[in-house]
Parts: sequence; C-alpha cells; structure tokens
Amino acid sequence: MSGGVLLLATLCTSLFTALLIFLLPERAFRARTGLNLGAALVKLTLVAWMVWGLSRGHAYALEFPVLEGLAFVLRADALGIMFAGLSSLLWLFTTIYAIGYLEDSPNRKRFFGFFSLCVASTLGISLAGNLFTFLIFYELLTLSTYPLVVHRGTAKALAAGGVYLRFTLTAGLVLMIGMIALHVLAGDIRFGEREILAGLDLDRRPLLVGLFWVLIAGFGVKAALVPLHGWLPRAMVAPAPVSALLHAVAVVKAGAFGIVRLVYDVYGIELSAELGLLAGLVAVASVTILYGSLRALAQQELKPRLAYSTVSQVAYIVLGIGLFGPLGTIAAFSHLLHQGLMKVTLFFCAGNYAEELGIHRIDDLDGAGRRMPLTSLAFTVGALGMIGLPPVVGFFSKWYLGTGAIQAGMPWVIAVLVASSLLNAAYFLPILGRLWFLPGPDHGVGEWPEERRLGRLETHAWLLVPAVATALFSLVAGLLAGMPFSPLEWATRVVNTEYLP
Amino acid sequence: MSVLSAVPLAAETAVLWVALLIPSLLGLLAWRFPPQRMRPLLLVITPLPLATFWLLHRVAMGGELEGVWSLGELLLYWRLDGLRGLLLLLTQLLLLASATYAVGHRRAIAVAERTFAGFWPLLGGLATALGIIWVAADLLTLYVALELMGLCAVGMMLLPGKQAALVAGMRYLLYALVGSLAWLLGVALLLGVSGRLDLSGLAATTQPGTVTSIAMALLAAGLLLKAAIFPLHGWLAPVHASAWTPVSALHGALVVKASFFILMQLWQRLVPEAVAAAWLLGLLGSMAVVWGGLQAWRAQALKQVVAWSTVGQLGYLMLAFPLLAGTSAAVATLAWQATWLQLAAHAMAKAAMFMAAGNLVLAAGEGRLTDLAGTSRQLPFPLMTFGIAAVTLMGLPPSAGFTAKWLLLQAAILAGQWLWVAVLVAGTLLSAAYVFRVLRCAFVEDATRQEVQPLPAGMNLIALLLALAALGLGLGADWPLALIRAGGMP
Amino acid sequence: MSLPEELFPASLLVFLAAACLLDRHLLRACLAFIAFALLMSLAWWRLDAPWLALVEAMLGALLTGLALFHGLGYPGTRPSLPVHDQERRPRHEAPVRWLAALVWLTLAGVAVWGISGDGELVASDELTRQPLLATGLAIMALGLWAFAHHLHLLRRLLAFNVLGSGVFLLLAGLAGPSVEVQGLILVGLVVALIGSVLGAALLRRLHALDGRVTLGVEADERR
Repeated sequence: MSGGVLLLATLCTSLFTALLIFLLPERAFRARTGLNLGAALVKLTLVAWMVWGLSRGHAYALEFPVLEGLAFVLRADALGIMFAGLSSLLWLFTTIYAIGYLEDSPNRKRFFGFFSLCVASTLGISLAGNLFTFLIFYELLTLSTYPLVVHRGTAKALAAGGVYLRFTLTAGLVLMIGMIALHVLAGDIRFGEREILAGLDLDRRPLLVGLFWVLIAGFGVKAALVPLHGWLPRAMVAPAPVSALLHAVAVVKAGAFGIVRLVYDVYGIELSAELGLLAGLVAVASVTILYGSLRALAQQELKPRLAYSTVSQVAYIVLGIGLFGPLGTIAAFSHLLHQGLMKVTLFFCAGNYAEELGIHRIDDLDGAGRRMPLTSLAFTVGALGMIGLPPVVGFFSKWYLGTGAIQAGMPWVIAVLVASSLLNAAYFLPILGRLWFLPGPDHGVGEWPEERRLGRLETHAWLLVPAVATALFSLVAGLLAGMPFSPLEWATRVVNTEYLP
Repeated sequence: MSVLSAVPLAAETAVLWVALLIPSLLGLLAWRFPPQRMRPLLLVITPLPLATFWLLHRVAMGGELEGVWSLGELLLYWRLDGLRGLLLLLTQLLLLASATYAVGHRRAIAVAERTFAGFWPLLGGLATALGIIWVAADLLTLYVALELMGLCAVGMMLLPGKQAALVAGMRYLLYALVGSLAWLLGVALLLGVSGRLDLSGLAATTQPGTVTSIAMALLAAGLLLKAAIFPLHGWLAPVHASAWTPVSALHGALVVKASFFILMQLWQRLVPEAVAAAWLLGLLGSMAVVWGGLQAWRAQALKQVVAWSTVGQLGYLMLAFPLLAGTSAAVATLAWQATWLQLAAHAMAKAAMFMAAGNLVLAAGEGRLTDLAGTSRQLPFPLMTFGIAAVTLMGLPPSAGFTAKWLLLQAAILAGQWLWVAVLVAGTLLSAAYVFRVLRCAFVEDATRQEVQPLPAGMNLIALLLALAALGLGLGADWPLALIRAGGMP
Repeated sequence: MSLPEELFPASLLVFLAAACLLDRHLLRACLAFIAFALLMSLAWWRLDAPWLALVEAMLGALLTGLALFHGLGYPGTRPSLPVHDQERRPRHEAPVRWLAALVWLTLAGVAVWGISGDGELVASDELTRQPLLATGLAIMALGLWAFAHHLHLLRRLLAFNVLGSGVFLLLAGLAGPSVEVQGLILVGLVVALIGSVLGAALLRRLHALDGRVTLGVEADERR
C-alpha cells in the first residue's frame, strides 16, 4: 500500500465510522458496538503499521492544492505518529468504556457519531503537515466535541457547552489570524521547514515574536494554560468518557501538540531560543502548574480536582518545550503520552465510582478500596504516576524535566517541580488514604450515595477493563521504559533523529 | 488569455443559449402539467448542469466565449468566462435542488395543485433571468434580465397568498420598482456621456468625472436596494417569513447576489480607482455584518434567523470593494477569488439551511426556536443538515466559507486594512452565536415532544447534499478558483 | 421646432403629473394619469419614435389605466376602495425617505447640468433637448415627492409611474431617440405595466382581506 493511501485509510476509518453510525438506527446497538470496536482496532493496526514503516524509513505523505500557494498536507512524521498512536490506543479503551457507560441511555447514536468524528479530527491533527491542515482539524475538533459536552442536555451542560464554544471558537479565530499573518509573511510553511522563518530578515524578528504569542494564545485555550483555562473545569458536566477524551486524548492534547508543532517544526527550537520565546513559555507553564495544583487542592469533588490536575499536568508538556536542550524535549514528548495514559485511567476510575456507587465527592470515597479493589488499584497507579513516583511513567517525565532544566540553565524550574510534586501529593494522597485506610460502608460505616451493582465483578466489565488496562499500560511503560517502541524510547528517538538543537 | 475566436464557435453558442432558455420552457410546461414526483424532474433538469460543465471545460481550454446578438439595429453583447460559467453552473445546480425540493414541499404543505402550479413558470423565468445576468455584457440586456428576475421573485413570494406574504410582497415590489428606476436613470446618464451600452465599450470610453460618479452612485443605489445591503435591507426578512421554502432557498441563495454581481462588474469597469466610495461600500457591508448578525441572534422564529443571517453574510461580499480599489495586484487577486468563493459557499449553504429550517418547521409543526427542544432525537437529519450548512456560514473548516474567509483575511492583512479583519472576526462570532442558539435548543432534553410529521426522504436528502457540497467546496476550491483566476478581473 | 412651441406641451405634462399626484380623489387622479400617459405618447411621436408612441399609448395609457381602475374596484361592487385617500402621514415620519428623494434629485440635477452644460451631449440637436430635460427633471421631482410622501398604495403606484415617465424623458433628453434609448424605454414601460398590474391586484386583495390600503405602520418601523 502506498504511503498516501495508508494515511487516507487511517483517517477515513474514523470518518466512515462516524458516517455509518449516523446512518444506523438508534436501536442498532450491536452493529454500532461492532463498528466502533472494529474501527478502533483497524485504526490501531494501521497506525502500528505506519510506526513500523517509519522505523524502517518509509515515508507517508499526501497533499493537494487548495488555494494558490497553499496545500492540504497530510504527512506521518515520527512526532505526529507518536500522537496518532496515543490517540488510537486510548480511543480503543475509551470506546469500550463509553459503550459500558452509556448502556441504556438515550441518544447513543448521536454520541458515538460525534465521538468518532472527534477522534478523526484528533488523528488529522496528528498527521497534519502544515498549519493550514492543522487548523482544519483543530476547528473540526471544536465542532465535534460540542455535542459531546452538551450530551446530557441539562441546563448546566448547555451552559458549559456555551462557555466551551466561547473560548474555543474565539481561540480558533485568533489562531487563524495568526496563521494567515504568518502565511503572508513567509508563505506556506510545512512542518519541519524550520529554515524559512530562521532565514527571514532580522527586522522581521519583532513581528515573529508577536505572531508567536498570538498563536500561543490560540493554542493555549485548548491546552488550558492559565489564564485561558476557564472552560475546562466547567466541561466536567460531560459524561465520564467525554471527560477522559477531553483531558487525556483529544482537546487538551491538541492544544499542547499545537504548541509542540509551533515551537519545534515552524519556528524551530534554536530560533525560539534566539528570540527569547522559551523563557516566556517556561514562565507561563510554571504559573499554570502551580495555579492548577493549588486549585485542585481546593476542590471537594473528584472530577473537578482531576480537571485542575489536568491544567497543571498539561503545562508540564509546555514546560518541557520551553527547556532548551534534548532532555527537555524528550520530557515534553514523552509526557504527551504519559499524561494521556495516566489521566485517562484516573477519569475512568472516577467514572466507575460515580456509576457504581454514585460517588462524586471526595469525602464519600472512604473505604471504597474494599468495595472496588481493582478500580482503586488502577486509581492508585494513576495518582502515584501523577505525583511522579517510580516505576510509574510519571516519574520519567519529571526526571527528564528536572535534568532538562539543569541542561537549559534554569535550575529554578526544579523548585517549581518540587513544589508541584508536593502539591500533587497533597491532593492525591488524601484520596488514596480514604480509599484504602478509612473505614467505609463496606466496613459497616455509613452507606454509599447510590449503589447500583452493575455486574458480577465490582462494576460493569466494560467499565472495569479499560481502567485496569490503561493503568497497566502506564505501569508497564514505566517498567519497560528502555525497550524499543516504549513512549520514552520513541520520544528519545524522535528527538535524536529530528530535533537535536 | 486569448479569446476563442472573434465569431465564437457555433456549437458552444447554441449550447449556451439552449441552456439559458430551457428552464423557462420547462417552467411553462410544468405550469400545464405540474410534476408529481421528484425523480423525473431530476432526470429532466440534470442535462443543464452537464451542458454548462461542458461549456466550462471548453472555456478552460480555450479562453472566453464572446458574442454579439443583433436585433435589428440593436446590438446585445454576451460573454462567457470561467467566473460566469461557474455562476451559471451554480444557478443550475440550485435550480435542480429547489425544483426537486418543491415537488416534495407541495405534497408536505398540502396546497392545491393549481395554486402551486404558478410556481413553475416563475421558477423557470427566474432561472433564465439569472443565467442571462451572468452572461450579459451590456446594460440593456442586464436591465431586461434584472427586471425579469425581480418580477419573477416578487411573484414567487406572493404565491402563498396569505396576508403577511402579500404585505411583504407589496413592499418588495415597490422597492424593486424604485430600485430599477434608479438603475435606469444611471444608465441614462452613462448613455448620455458615452453613447454606448456595452460594458467593455463603456469601460473604454468613460472618463472618471462627476457625471460618471453620479451615474455609478445611482446604479449602485438601485442595485444595493435589490441586493438588500444595509441599510436598504428592510424588505428582506419579512419577505422570507411567509414565503415557501424552495422560494426562500433560491432567493436567499442567488437573487440577492445577482445584483451584487452586476454592481461588481460595473464598479470594476467604471470607477475601479474610487477608493473613498469603495470604503463606504465596505463600511456598509461591515454594518450589515454586525446588524444582520445581531438581528439573527435576537430573532424568535427559525426562518427569521436564517433570513437575517443572509443580511449579515451579504456584508462579507461588500468587503471586496475596498480590497479591490487601489490595492496591489496580489491583494486584489486574493479578494477577487475570496468574493466569488464566498458567494458560492453562501449560496449553497443558505439554500441548504432554508430547506433544513423549512423541514424542521414542517415536521415539528412549529416555527419558533424554543419549540425545537428535543428535536435532535426525532429529526436528526434536518438538524444535521442545518448544522453542516451552519459550518459554512460560520466559516469554520473544512467548508468553503472557511477557505473564502482565509482568502479574505489574507487579502486584508496583506493590504494592512485591519478594520476588515475585525469585521470578519465579529461576523464569525456573531454567526456562531445565532447558529448555536438554534442548535442548543435542539439539545435540550427535558421537553417532551409530540408526534412529528413525516416528510418525503428526498427533501432531507437534497438539503443535506447541498450542505455537503458547500462543505466539500472548501477543500476542492482549487479547480473553480483556477478558472476564476484564468478569467482575470474586468 | 422652437422653444415656445415646446413650452406648451411640456408645461401641460407637468401640470397633468401634478394633478395626478396631488388629487386625493383617486378616480380623478387615475384619469389625470391616463391623460398624462397619452400626452407622453404624443411626445414620443414628436420625437420621431412612432413605435414608442404606440406602446406608450397601449401599455402606458390603456392597460395601466385599466389596471389602476381594477385596483380601485368597480363602482358598486363590494370590495371597491374608498374613492378618497384618507391617509395622512404625520409630519415627523420618514425623514430618511425625504433625504433619499432629495439626494436622488440633486444627483440627477447635477449630472444633467454637467452633461448638457459641458456640451457633452452625444446628440447635437440641443434645442429640443433642453425642454425635455427640464420637463423630465420636474416630473421626476414630483414623482419622488409623491412616492416619499404618500401612504395610499394606489397613489404610490401612480407616483412610481410618473417617476418612471420622468426618467424616460430624461433618458430621451440625454441620449436622443436612438435605438438603445427606445429599447430601454420599451423595457421600462413593460416593467412599469407589470408592476402596476401586480400592485393593483395586490391592493385589491389586501383591501378585501382586512380593509387596508397602506403597508401599515409597524412595517415602516422595522425598516
């Protein structure tokens, strides 16, 4: 199969799934489930094929002109395929989880249709070969997540959807204007053509700095950088699989990935360092990390706490980008994957507590470890990873961030990291303590808010399996971090082949 | 670009005039024998766009077709280049869609066959008039076609026969008539100055001066009135409130744009360097964008939202004037392409949106936004169509509205005219506001809905296809834009 | 033809136009319009445009007249309109319309003066042109005033027709009775006829539905 066709096939897997799901009647539960899982598996296979092909030196690219001097470009490079792999893997688990979560609820057709569309957009974002193509899928992501956010149709959900749109559509416009201005300045820049902007006249440099911050503002809304993060905690009203998708796979990651592309593939890390952009990024990221952690500490409910934790964790990626040097870059790329694995686990678990026991508040979690041991174990793995304890993958992210900070000559960043890790511990350890060490209804103290007994296991098998699987992945990826095709190893390879400063 | 030949090839000319006149003949035929089913109609009309496609192919190969048609001493000029051919193709595709839709619509609204029969000849006349407007190259032919179009449009708006329709139609008639007198006076002045009516001759002989400016101002006033450009848009929204859906679709999509097209033609030929006047038009367009958006946001009835959004979207087209006047060639080329792409995108999306809105109102039996609650479960298809059409109107990717907006923004930034960037931003946000106000209603879950009236599947399908076409044109814009570039600017 | 010879028909035309537009008695106004159209036809005849004269007499006088009478309703039949226009516009209303009419008139006046003053006229026979231009401007002014001022739909239709005739006269005055001019006027006459027929039929229908003879106030506010 030639390169372009493979790319197109991967993209169309989700697109056609979305189309077919919209065409199927609401009651065709089995067909829809089969289609969802089949497409997720096919896509994972195709992406794995491309990963293997890329490591063998094959090239995958597809492009056609849209306007004079502007083309629609799809291209699988090492960095893009890394993100594509993450989204395909997590899509599989999220789909399984969503099927279990939405069992017997209305509007499933609409949900899964937009769900597939959302994943198609994420894949498009990862495979986009220039800013124009990136923007197309980036905006498509906004559109396809809106119906998911307002899925429940309650006043609260609709209000959250409104806030979400206000933030993301405005950001999309800002992004579009920034991209067009860059296009006017330098023409169609393919990702990786770093020499174009570096070769511009010196008197254009101030303009480049301005445009950089315009574009960062555009990406920063989806990446939930403070002060543009307002939509994220409110979007918590969405169903749990959507939260998992927003926080771990699609939306927040798309923003972070956009910043990665901007710094490494459009401006180039050397030019960014020369223009003094990186220090600004590190500052923004540090503020976001600390602010997100502090706000997380103040939350009394589980999902908002996780949401603010996302704000802080995604900023680690931005922090890594800002640390000039290979180690910082490795930290940024690998945390893109690590955070996804850990965060999706945590959201699955939070959803399980809510579905099985009706728990939304943290102080209701007392003793849940006994009632739901596997879920609680998975949650523990995710939480420890977030704090940065070995051997969970989160440790490696923080390790590389710390060494990267020293390499970049910004040792004060280590203080930020330590503070943030302490804050992480401060808001995750009490939860773990409640789960395992406090007596709860299963010890005969009090009762669960709304117990449902969804399956023979501790909860519905479709809910349990994805949570445990992603927890295992985050553990195994940490244990086997040195093996080929592990996230860390792939990130190192990407940095060594393409992004060595 | 060379002209194909001084005397254009007979076959092409014949095909062109047949393609222009066939809709009228079909319309008269349908008056006598009203079509009952969608499929035969589809078969009968489909050759039209195919013929135009062939013409476009010929134009792409050999430049433009030009000709003179003599009527005694009277010489009538016509001309077919890439842009005009594409507009003709667009007209025929929308004619196909609205004619097919109308068959289903008649069944759904259960109106008497004889009452509805009047629709067909008017539709045919409208299509012919639009076609002639695209290819005409002298002021007399344009005048005839403009009046034919206006009268057909008024007639179609009156057909429902309800009181509101009659009042709105009467107002539309008066405005259209006065508009055409302003136009005629402008033509009289031009004729007095240069003694000719053909566009290329006028461009060659007319000197810029007071009289030319006044003539252009009168022509522009008449055309802006017919195009419903702010502040002369008052007649538009009431007219759509009570019109039949296929009429609204065609009117919102093409009729208002035909006047814009003529204005652009004349402007580029007669006063291309009038920067201040062009900025005035751009400012009018900006106010249209804002005012139309606000009114659409405030509107309570679904069809009013769609109608007011037309007022706003027409404003985008007006931004072309300041970007074309006195700017560099690069800016002008970008703005030129952006304008026509935006026109095509809006035409298809607006037709699709009117049809989708009409389907929602017909099926749900209610026309107010708040009555749409919970429709996402019962009427997913019209709602989806509405959503896809809305993507184009908001200018979000991958729609043609997005590509057009990209071009327009690029032109504005390249020219350093940041005001229009702000206008485009405001317009986008406003359109998102009114579109999602509609969609939001459909997601409300707590309302219980009664039965919905089933509609012929074709009605939903046509609207969906149009919306998808507007979406697909975004990434497939290279071919039409290359044709438009090859034709150059007048 | 000399100037005094032209003066009489020209002033008669203006007088008839004024009579048609000022009279609140609608039947008389319609009759005045028919006389006006017949005089227009005579004017075309004298300008060596016999076909135009014929068309003006047929369409402008006969058919438009019939249409207007139809709109008025036949005396004695039930849905006939009141013969007197009772509608009065409050003074403060619609300054925008007045402004538009004034701007229109000023523009036309300046342009006509510009063309005839610079000797830019394409046709050379200036002596016949100037009365035509003056009459055209005067009639156009009357028509504009009436269109902006009147509320009654039949009177607005009359105003539109008079306004149209004024434009035709200007057209002929500016460019002579060339074939293009005749073509334009011909089309204009047909359009005016169709517009009048449609307008008159609509007026009848609206009056039969709810007794109105105007477009209504709320509609004016929405503009």
